[in-house]
Amino acid sequence: MAKVWINDQEIELGDDERLNGIQVARRAGVDVPHYCWHPGLSVVASCRMCLVETGSKNAETGEVSMMPKLVPACQTPAKDGTVFVTDSDKVKHARAFVEEALLIDHPIDCPICDKAGECYLQDYHFEHGQKERRADIKPFTSRRRPMGETVTLFVDRCVMCTRCVRFTREITGTNELMTVQRGAHEEIDVFPGFPLENKLSGNVVDLCPVGALGDQDFLYSQRVWFMKTHNSVCTGCSTGCSIRVDENQDEVYRVRPRENPHINKWWMCDDGRYGWRYIHDDARLIGPEIQNKQDANADSGANGDGPLPGPMEWSTVIAKADEDVRAAGRLAVVLSPYLTVEEAFLLCTYAREVDSQVLIALGPVPQLGEDETFPSGFTIHAEKAPNRRGVEEVAASFGKALSFEELLPKVAAKEVSAVWVTAGYPQANWIDESAASQLAKADVLVVQDIFDSPLWQAATHRLPSATFAEKEGSYVNFANRLQSVPWAIRPPAGARSEGGVLWRLLGRTGLYQAKQVLAEVTREIPYFRAAADGVSEFGIDLTIGMLAEA
Amino acid sequence: MKPDDPDILWVDEPKLGLAGKLYLPLIAQGLTTTTKHLFGKKVTVSYPDSEPEIANPLIYRGVHRLNRDEQGRVKCVACFLCATACPAHCIDIIGTESPWEDREKYPESFTIDELRCIYCGMCEEACPVDAIELTSLYNLTGRSREEMVFDKEKLLSVFDQTKDAEPMKSQTVANSLADTTPPKGGAS
Amino acid sequence: MWEALIKIGLLIFVIMTAVAYFVLLERKVAAWVQDRKGPNRVGLPLTKIRLFGMGQPLADGVKMVLKEEYIPGHVDKALYVLAPISILASALATFAVIPFGSIWPTADGYIDFVVAPGFDAGLIYVFALSGIAVYGVILGGWASNNKYSFLGGLRSSAQLIAYEIPLSLGILGIVLTAGSLRLDTVIAQQAETGMWNAFVQPLGFVVFLVAATAEAARLPFDLPEAEQELIGGFHTEYSGMKLVMYASAEFLHMITAAFLIVILFLGGWHFWGITGSGTEITWVTALLRVLVLFAKICLVVFGFMMVRWTLPRFRFDQLMALAWKVMLPLGMVNLVLVAAMVEYFNNAVAEKPLMVFLVMTGLMLVSIVVTAVLAPLGSRNERSPVGDLPT
Ligand code: SF4
Ligand code: SF4
Ligand code: SF4
Ligand code: FES
Repeated sequence: MAKVWINDQEIELGDDERLNGIQVARRAGVDVPHYCWHPGLSVVASCRMCLVETGSKNAETGEVSMMPKLVPACQTPAKDGTVFVTDSDKVKHARAFVEEALLIDHPIDCPICDKAGECYLQDYHFEHGQKERRADIKPFTSRRRPMGETVTLFVDRCVMCTRCVRFTREITGTNELMTVQRGAHEEIDVFPGFPLENKLSGNVVDLCPVGALGDQDFLYSQRVWFMKTHNSVCTGCSTGCSIRVDENQDEVYRVRPRENPHINKWWMCDDGRYGWRYIHDDARLIGPEIQNKQDANADSGANGDGPLPGPMEWSTVIAKADEDVRAAGRLAVVLSPYLTVEEAFLLCTYAREVDSQVLIALGPVPQLGEDETFPSGFTIHAEKAPNRRGVEEVAASFGKALSFEELLPKVAAKEVSAVWVTAGYPQANWIDESAASQLAKADVLVVQDIFDSPLWQAATHRLPSATFAEKEGSYVNFANRLQSVPWAIRPPAGARSEGGVLWRLLGRTGLYQAKQVLAEVTREIPYFRAAADGVSEFGIDLTIGMLAEA
Repeated sequence: MKPDDPDILWVDEPKLGLAGKLYLPLIAQGLTTTTKHLFGKKVTVSYPDSEPEIANPLIYRGVHRLNRDEQGRVKCVACFLCATACPAHCIDIIGTESPWEDREKYPESFTIDELRCIYCGMCEEACPVDAIELTSLYNLTGRSREEMVFDKEKLLSVFDQTKDAEPMKSQTVANSLADTTPPKGGAS
Repeated sequence: MWEALIKIGLLIFVIMTAVAYFVLLERKVAAWVQDRKGPNRVGLPLTKIRLFGMGQPLADGVKMVLKEEYIPGHVDKALYVLAPISILASALATFAVIPFGSIWPTADGYIDFVVAPGFDAGLIYVFALSGIAVYGVILGGWASNNKYSFLGGLRSSAQLIAYEIPLSLGILGIVLTAGSLRLDTVIAQQAETGMWNAFVQPLGFVVFLVAATAEAARLPFDLPEAEQELIGGFHTEYSGMKLVMYASAEFLHMITAAFLIVILFLGGWHFWGITGSGTEITWVTALLRVLVLFAKICLVVFGFMMVRWTLPRFRFDQLMALAWKVMLPLGMVNLVLVAAMVEYFNNAVAEKPLMVFLVMTGLMLVSIVVTAVLAPLGSRNERSPVGDLPT
């Protein structure tokens, strides 16, 4: 077992841990400032911000011999007996001078810089810099040029850490970014005609320790300190990247990757990063409705006394839906792969309670193109739904699940008279006319969805539902990793999460408690058992439960 | 904060003398003071019969204005620092890329709810480009709440209205600094 | 019967008007003390005549009456409505036994200037009703279902109970010398000797003055309301007419206190040389007596107001210390002094008034100094030893 000293603290490392000075220091609770080093990228040790004193302690004599010069902590491996000193005057001076050198060329346009508030240059200067700036204050602007569709470069703000360059070389393998010129004139640029365009391009904005790379999508829309950050999961594809949703007063402004060593490391793809705008689409459905069936289904016994009037209370609609579903007879439910595990479980529980012979079907799972894998191993999946695995497993535990295609003819043949469809697909055309018209044969058709569709039009009970940012719950990704996340914003007035509606339908009181439902799920379904003792922010691997099941 | 925190300054109550313990002499003393004021000179200004005199408009905190630069464009760079500093949360800005070559960001919309404002002047303190200032206009009235929410145009028009009487403070300060000649005599 | 009704009508009219104008006076005094001008705009409606703001009470009244009768959703409705009514009713009922003048000579005798003439237990009645007043406050605080109101109500009950005792002790002295609980007898006795009780029992006067201020919950004893700490205390949740009832009841308490002070200690309607002392009087003297009484009342009320804008509010422990450690012993001492005087120097007041005054004043000063040294008010203000404080 290797012993390392950080200032006066002794840290023990595991046998096969290979950490550098910054990482061991962090373990000791000591922050070593750094710009160019990033755990996901190669080490270049070019910024010199992480300079520390180092030496080694002789195990027998206990004598410490220090190196005469400062070394970059990012490049110094921690071995048995290594000593790091991070708080000596020498180190402090070095940091102050690096900060000063970086600021010589910096425009200090923090007031209009989007990074202000989460900028390393600001933070480190505040903590380690000198009180006064000796360089002349330069104009309040930074030259700006686009790097591609998504990213724009504020040239003068750059501190030349080359994180962005290494990212395009090592993670995406696309090599768009490079440094041009030399010395004080060094700049980041792209080759003319070869802009930064790859599916991971947005990550360079997060990587950039300063405000040099700006996100075109987010640019100038909010100051970061106004936003509150919530953990979430990207529902763009079955990878299920861990993300953070940044929100201010129920409006999402940006989505960033959240470090998760088991899924997405530090990255996420642009589809997910920019693909959440539908949350605030004006076309979002709001206000529950009940539509009478008499024109669509004249021969049925449904009460034909004209459409019910205008906007309705949620409580009324839920009660009516419950009543009608129970009155209808045979029931089928469709589980959307956009449901959380908890919601799928609640829906199945409810359906089973209404009709013990209920038909459970899985909603269509959108597929788009091929899986796309980057050199670093980051994969964008073709399966564009977050929770197929979770929903499948829940459905399976309630008996054999049908596919969507198998269900359609059964409904058309009137084997069931009530259908409860959950949707929540961000894709507008998730269902076509013919499928919708087949489902419309049911006497009672309850639909929970976020956008208008042929099915919505055909529905008798229309319950506007919520998007991923608006509901709490768990998702199981392609590799059977379950992540539980809270809600980030409230659904628009008039919409309710599926979980909340089902919670009421099951006669439970108070607010919808996803945690409580998940506890039930882990008790009832062996596949989910691994999640019984709580789920960390990195999620939990359910493969063990799968083995047990087998 | 712990009771032995060095930042806490403990002040002991002064010990009372006999008069203080008796309490009655102190009451007499207090009554004398109040009685004096009863007949003293009144400071009330009978607004609107007479208008108050504003001794120094530069430090008066009245209605806001948004200053213009030399080219007549709004000076604000939409940094939101005023909105951040504002304790009443009454400033609402929508920033966007500016249409001008030499400027990066500017406020597409800038509104201040003058009814919610507490006229503390924090916004003025916070502004890095001296774009927002409080003028000495104090008699602000309106017939509806909406009317009291000042938008960018209105705030700029306040500037046009007041710029002659009250030049921009940044300029005033710069001028007064320039005017300051080193004191004659003394140690040099 | 008719006589009583007319008296009641007259009394209520005069007193409620007085309340309204005392409110104005209070605002004016507040303004003057603070170097302001005070309300001076509202005069005759629809004209520009301002009358120094004399129309203000009317405007205030109209405003309050026209306000929405709002009852917050979280209150106990019945008690909430009942509380201000009970407090105002009891405050008004007190005036049944309080003489607001002397007598009015008529062809066949005279009419008493009191609603219930010849009521032997007058003082007891006054105390009983002022005891009811505290119910109004507690009920209001409780029914409001609001922490501040409730605290106000609690404070009020503690305070009123504590100060009833020195108040009664102060009165006992009077009862001893007058030998009657009837207020008109008390006045008559003072008028006869020309020695107001304040001179005979200065110590009792001081005790009574302080206790009466506390009973009326006037500053510095207005802890039940304490705007700064309890945002209005027991009447936080009240508005409109119900608030008016509370406010006028409070002013009525002050006026009652002023009446009691004047009647018990300051000679009532008596003033040397102009009012006479007997029952054989002309209507001029009768009128003079009423005027003298009202002048005295106004002076005392004005005194209350000046005190309000002079003294800061007590802390609650100081309030209690004052009641139990200072006022109670002083009241006892006074009682003993008066009892001794009545027993051994029964004729002294009539024979050597100056002597009595000097002796009594001297004894008062001595006892006040002794109490002040033994039980100083500023006590218990020392810093707690470090570590005792909650962290
Ligand atoms: S643009 Fe940002 S990430 Fe790229 S080199 Fe400059 S500072 Fe580093
Ligand atoms: S004066 Fe104060 S309250 Fe008003 S806008 Fe400025 S910062 Fe906000
Ligand atoms: S602080 Fe100044 S520049 Fe920044 S948004 Fe406010 S007014 Fe504009
Ligand atoms: S972080 Fe070590 S040199 Fe940049």
